[in-house]
Amino acid sequence: MTPLLEVRGLTIRFGGLVAVCEVDLALNPSEVLCIIGPNGAGKSTLFNMISGIYRPSAGTVHLDGRDITGWPAHRIAAAGIARTFQSSRLFNDLTLIDNVVIGMHSRTKSGVLDALLRPGKARAELEAAAEKAGELIRAISPDLHARRNTLAGALPQADRRRLEIARALASDARVIMLDEPSSGMDDRDTDALMADVRRVMAERPGLSFLIIEHDMRLVAALPDRVAVIDYGRKIAEGDFADVRLMPRVQEAYLGQKAAEHA
Amino acid sequence: MDALLAQHLLNWLVLGSIYTLIALGFSLLFGVLDVIHFSHGDVSMAAPFVALAAIQAVAAWAVPLTGTGALLLAILISMAAIGLLGVLLDWLVIRRFRAAPAMMALVATVALGTVIRELIRTLYPQGSNPKPFPAIATDVIRLGDIVVPVFSLIVIAVSVLTVIALFALLNHTPVGVRIRAVAEDRAVARLMAIRPNRIFAVTFFIASAVGAVGAVFFVSHAGVVRFDYGVQLGLIGFSAAVIGGLGSMQGAILGSLLIAGIDMLVQIAVPDGASYRLVFIFLLVIGVLVLKPSGILGKPVFEKV
Amino acid sequence: MADTAQATSALVRRNGPSADLAIVAGVELGSAILLWSFLLSDRTAVIVALLALMGGIFAALQLRPALEERIVAAFHDRKRFATLLGAVIVLIYPFFLQGSGYAFHLLIVSMLYAVLALALNFQLGSANIPNFATGASYGIGAYTSALLALNFGVSFWLTLPVAAVVATAFGFLLGFPSMRTKESYLALVTIAFGIVVHQLLNNFDWTGGPNGLVGIPAPELFGHSFARPIEAFGFRLPSQANFYYLSAALVGLSIVCAKRLHESRVGLAWNALRADPLAARCQGIDVVWFKMLAFGVDAFLAAFAGTIYAFYVSYISPDNFTFLVSVTIMTMVIVGGMDNTLGVIIGAFFLTMLPEKLRIFSDYRLLFVGVVVILFLILRPQGLFPQRARNYGEHR
Repeated sequence: MTPLLEVRGLTIRFGGLVAVCEVDLALNPSEVLCIIGPNGAGKSTLFNMISGIYRPSAGTVHLDGRDITGWPAHRIAAAGIARTFQSSRLFNDLTLIDNVVIGMHSRTKSGVLDALLRPGKARAELEAAAEKAGELIRAISPDLHARRNTLAGALPQADRRRLEIARALASDARVIMLDEPSSGMDDRDTDALMADVRRVMAERPGLSFLIIEHDMRLVAALPDRVAVIDYGRKIAEGDFADVRLMPRVQEAYLGQKAAEHA
Repeated sequence: MDALLAQHLLNWLVLGSIYTLIALGFSLLFGVLDVIHFSHGDVSMAAPFVALAAIQAVAAWAVPLTGTGALLLAILISMAAIGLLGVLLDWLVIRRFRAAPAMMALVATVALGTVIRELIRTLYPQGSNPKPFPAIATDVIRLGDIVVPVFSLIVIAVSVLTVIALFALLNHTPVGVRIRAVAEDRAVARLMAIRPNRIFAVTFFIASAVGAVGAVFFVSHAGVVRFDYGVQLGLIGFSAAVIGGLGSMQGAILGSLLIAGIDMLVQIAVPDGASYRLVFIFLLVIGVLVLKPSGILGKPVFEKV
Repeated sequence: MADTAQATSALVRRNGPSADLAIVAGVELGSAILLWSFLLSDRTAVIVALLALMGGIFAALQLRPALEERIVAAFHDRKRFATLLGAVIVLIYPFFLQGSGYAFHLLIVSMLYAVLALALNFQLGSANIPNFATGASYGIGAYTSALLALNFGVSFWLTLPVAAVVATAFGFLLGFPSMRTKESYLALVTIAFGIVVHQLLNNFDWTGGPNGLVGIPAPELFGHSFARPIEAFGFRLPSQANFYYLSAALVGLSIVCAKRLHESRVGLAWNALRADPLAARCQGIDVVWFKMLAFGVDAFLAAFAGTIYAFYVSYISPDNFTFLVSVTIMTMVIVGGMDNTLGVIIGAFFLTMLPEKLRIFSDYRLLFVGVVVILFLILRPQGLFPQRARNYGEHR
């Protein structure tokens, strides 16, 4: 089976610092892959390269066999990779609905001339998008749906993460990358988050998730596989149950001494 | 060396020095406060008016000073006054835009510039009319064919000394360390028991006082001052700071020399160059920013994700 | 906030349609009368009293947000009636101006500035792009049409689209550096562009240098010259009425453009890159293209205003299109309220008329305007009328 998303030898240097070094990853269709590792290991930097915010110094990224290395971020998003941010970057001065509708940017078409000369068509397209956005939000949380016409900036942390996921879903992406989706969430929220991911995967065959996570409860339960990154390198990959026992992984998390005692 | 070429080089350095004195203020204020103080040119241009008033006051109080001595005293007074004016404007207006989007501060200081100009025009006796400004020095030194005005030497020397003093202040004094700390990270500086507002006041004083010297040199060079001279001088100083790289002292100097160079070249080489000098200066500005979006020595803005 | 909206729509239903009509008619007629008395009064005391009244109304709206919501809802539900009544008011307004050329002039200039402010609003308001060169686009439009008319005898109506196309091309050219520069650096690029345009107009022979272009012929429509008075229904309107109607039509066109773009995918994309350019890129928005688009649209509308201005005053010089003009336009957008069409128009009218009406303090006018702008930015940075959230289908 060809992987949906394939990362080969991905490397980035900032000045003299090698932040990510020759990382290989393969994400199959309908799969959840979790990336774990200590803070500062280079996980978010990896996401930033895949989504086109940083240009890799070396290595390639393929989506569905197509080389998308070095593409600008908006083209990568249009090609089918959506993401959330560790610091949840919503459009704060817009409503929840607007936020999600913007997520559909590359699935909608109207340009300036359409808007000016064929307002009916442009308007209808946007209304349809808004309706779909409403449904997406409702599916994630009826609470959020009730507040759909309020500004995103007023949401509490857990809701911000939910809305960002709804926005990522709106683009009909084939790969969704979540950067620490459970941070700021309590256990109940996290359970709901996992249920959402499973529901969406059931609804959309072929959709895959790449998730950076620290919450070991989620890491143990949700993903099919886990990859561990430390100091910019991938040090392990496989089932969480196996990976967590590897000495190198324990060292990365606990430090060498502690790992020896563990 | 060709005498004409030497003369041009000298003029270039004089012009570059004057622009530097203005650009330094823009760069310093941006580096420390993260704000574009668009009225810096107008604030600086208030200095010659203060100096003129001071000369009259000195004469009226019959202080036993005449000519150069009185002028020197007047310039020192104007430096202090303009430095305080900068602090006052920060306190009255600019500090209210610390947390606002950059655009707000920019527009507010553009309006502030208008207010300053209009205050000079309406409050200063016959403020609308150009006023003759005395020459700081009229003597010349002849080196063979080259005529070196003492004034040029003063401008260059004072600018070089100012730059050295600024570098020394920022790098080797406790105040300078605090200024740099606040420029680096306001919140952390506050944790270190530095009061950012005091540092901002000090920065405004320095930037405005240095700008005052630049403006006084500018009008002494021209021999005349008018209430709205600050607009163009400010724009050029701002441009110099930006193409050099906002926040970088070296950048401000480099930008000023570049702009002064284009200014001189156009006036020498292009027919009717005096009319087209601004066209070329600002085309240079656009060109530099297209090639180097953060200025020549500016740190590229690295997006935090 | 959702509660307010719901409560309001409940209120709307309870009060019924006639209340809506009354509210719409009251607001529109009231504003028209207020503007009328402001335009025609020349006594300082009256002007100050009127300003105080406007301030009072504004304060009332601030203290009772439900009042504002109620008015907005009424206009929303009675859109057709509101538009029709507005058009009628605009149409018959000149008949009440007592033939005052000064009042006509103020209205025309205010309307042209409203168009310029709406043009800039696409950038500054919608997309947070600092453009200090709207004055230059305005000038390019004015000079293009004036040169065409003077040198080649091209009709006004043909110069309108040509000038718009030329200015739009320059707009894209100016937008080009926005590919890499941003914020203060981009602001300086636009400032520099504006100065270059101004200086070139000032120096070229074929633009008339500092003296500008003189004797731009008045437009004609079906044999009626715009230099001649309008005679209708036994009334005689001064020749400025021609340009009054023309400018009003342009304002109408600009409002339609603003509404349509705001309520489209394009408007949303602009808003997205205003809020967070990086997150916008990750939603598939080609930030560079949308920025350049904003420059193009701004220049397009500004050129229309420039053309009408040139033919209206029949004399243009570089000093009509300086950096300070651009700053004035920018101030109108900020004072009125970014990304709020009505607010921007009110900002333009307010800042055009206020200094004119305060001629009594003529020597201190600029000073006064500068202070007002600074106070506004400090006390009410969101402008008189802040942006409103979009409404999708459900509210209609």
